[in-house]
Amino acid sequence: MNSLLSISALSVRFPLGRSSYSLLPWQADRYLYALSNLSLDIDAGETVGLIGQSGSGKSTLGRTIMGLESAYSGSVKLQGLELMGLSEKNYRSVRRKLAMIFQDPVASLSPRKTVGQLVAEPFCIHKSEYKNLQQEAVRLLKLVGLDENFLSAYPHQLSGGQARRVGIARALALDPAIIIADEPTAGLDVSVQGEIINLMNRLQEELNIAYLFITHNLSVARHVCDRLAILYAGSLVELGPTDKVLRAPAHPYTELLLRSMPHADPMEKREDMHLNQEEMSYGEPHACVFYQSCTYSSNLCRDEIPAYWAAGPGHASKCHFPLGQSVE
Amino acid sequence: MLANNLDIEGLSISFSNEGEELMALRQVSLSVPRHSIVGIVGESGCGKSTLISSIFRLPMENAIIKCGRIHVNGTDVLTLDEEEMNRLRGKEIAMIFQDPFTALNPVLTIGSQLIDIQYRQAISRKEKKQNVIAALQQVGIDRASDRFNQYPHQFSGGMLQRICIAMALLVKPTLLVADEPTTALDATTELQILALIREFHRSTGASVLLVSHHLSVIAELCDRVVVMYAGEIVEEGLSQDVFGAPLHPYTNLLMQCDPARIKEKARHLPSIPGTVSRVVKTSTECIFVHRCPQAVSRCSELVPETYSVEGRTVKCHLISNE
Repeated sequence: MNSLLSISALSVRFPLGRSSYSLLPWQADRYLYALSNLSLDIDAGETVGLIGQSGSGKSTLGRTIMGLESAYSGSVKLQGLELMGLSEKNYRSVRRKLAMIFQDPVASLSPRKTVGQLVAEPFCIHKSEYKNLQQEAVRLLKLVGLDENFLSAYPHQLSGGQARRVGIARALALDPAIIIADEPTAGLDVSVQGEIINLMNRLQEELNIAYLFITHNLSVARHVCDRLAILYAGSLVELGPTDKVLRAPAHPYTELLLRSMPHADPMEKREDMHLNQEEMSYGEPHACVFYQSCTYSSNLCRDEIPAYWAAGPGHASKCHFPLGQSVE
Repeated sequence: MLANNLDIEGLSISFSNEGEELMALRQVSLSVPRHSIVGIVGESGCGKSTLISSIFRLPMENAIIKCGRIHVNGTDVLTLDEEEMNRLRGKEIAMIFQDPFTALNPVLTIGSQLIDIQYRQAISRKEKKQNVIAALQQVGIDRASDRFNQYPHQFSGGMLQRICIAMALLVKPTLLVADEPTTALDATTELQILALIREFHRSTGASVLLVSHHLSVIAELCDRVVVMYAGEIVEEGLSQDVFGAPLHPYTNLLMQCDPARIKEKARHLPSIPGTVSRVVKTSTECIFVHRCPQAVSRCSELVPETYSVEGRTVKCHLISNE
């Protein structure tokens, strides 16, 4: 067990609005399980794509690793060190190893600070030993392909792509081992999207950073990620090497996701799909999270949480009736 | 003969900014024929929003309409007074906004907003409510009569966008303008909303002008597509022609950048180097020359004309050689 980041049986739950009923002893508190029993290992220098719809718990996972949400049960270990239950003071030193790229490139930068101040901010917060902040800021900007003229610019003067680069420079400041990138290409134009992906790939090769790449854009994930983790309603339903998952999905939800992948070719229309709208699992799940929308579901799916089924080396699917089972 | 639902001719709009004139739209002409779906593709800063706002005559600070005409069903909207304009909005043209979370009033129930939007119809409140429930069911909202009394924050983004489409169903416009209707939504929800827009078009016969920076959304839905770059239309034609064999270098590059079109797994993704130039004076060169890999000397000397090739138009010097 030498993974860089090791998440095991992690559950995160949020209390649901209490009504006056919840004061009654027989009315138990209701919780929404944003993540249930999730296990995932990330190795140094690899990119794991975390795929799922909004509300599936992608961002909650990122935030829990960063210590911004507390776990209900389970553990998250970074280089062998247990993070869950750490005090805020101790977490601070851990966050040097963890960095985050936030979803909205412009909103994640303070509008009152210059790019130079923004990029040097992590050093100030962590009372870093670097003496020459200016020099460090220039080094970081160079790393992400911006020249020093940007030092005195304010966020509103930046384009979306430039703001994203500044966000990446800030994430890189303290030499993190892993970067959690929350939808790093959302809101960017197609022509700029490629630049940011290429930058992230280059930095990974130079600095051996691992990425947890949170996205709902499968077309981007396909090119960037070594492995894909498919999340549905807080459960990890499929995990495996990117090309395996995309070529031979073993979970019905993954199959559905793939069918909804956009084609730029007008001749290839996507199929119209019917997915049940709101599926919030209240309380601890006791069934397959996908059974209501699944075309293959049976009574077993409603009564029992499926176990992981090995679809191949490093490829697992949480389904009672995994696809391709009869073939293998 | 009935006029097109929308005809824009030679529209130029500038913004005055600290003594500088920013030419946001230059000589834009496009039309939306009856019962058609037309898409506008373009990246941020290409003038999509300016174009739409001008159709609805939404207030734009500092904007100066230099020249051009906008006809909605034969009526020139630029000559109407505010009262006449209000009569047009909602009745003949309606809009679906990009962000469904801010499109609805957060302090009113969706039911009351959906009733209010029928203010033109001389029917009782009870009948209006029945219309609302029918429209909500039509856009796939379960338990419509229960959800009637709920507030916008109690719905997900996809549901809110459905409600906005239900609003369009209630006013039955002849032209629906959808501004990036799926940008804020997931891929699976995106498909459902696109299907709903298509269904709306089929059932009411209304035309749709769909604006998106997402090529596949346009390809999915539209009969014709208009490609905009930095305030100009660079290519226009049938979807299958433009997407099948783009003629303008910009369209071509844009399509190469779309990760969905790259079939093999690639570590290095293509991008278009450079940035969109701000146009402050009448240009003497092609607008795309600085980013164009196929540029020749003529491109920086002369503004290209708009050439017609087999039912499509392309604004590029390279076409004139052929």
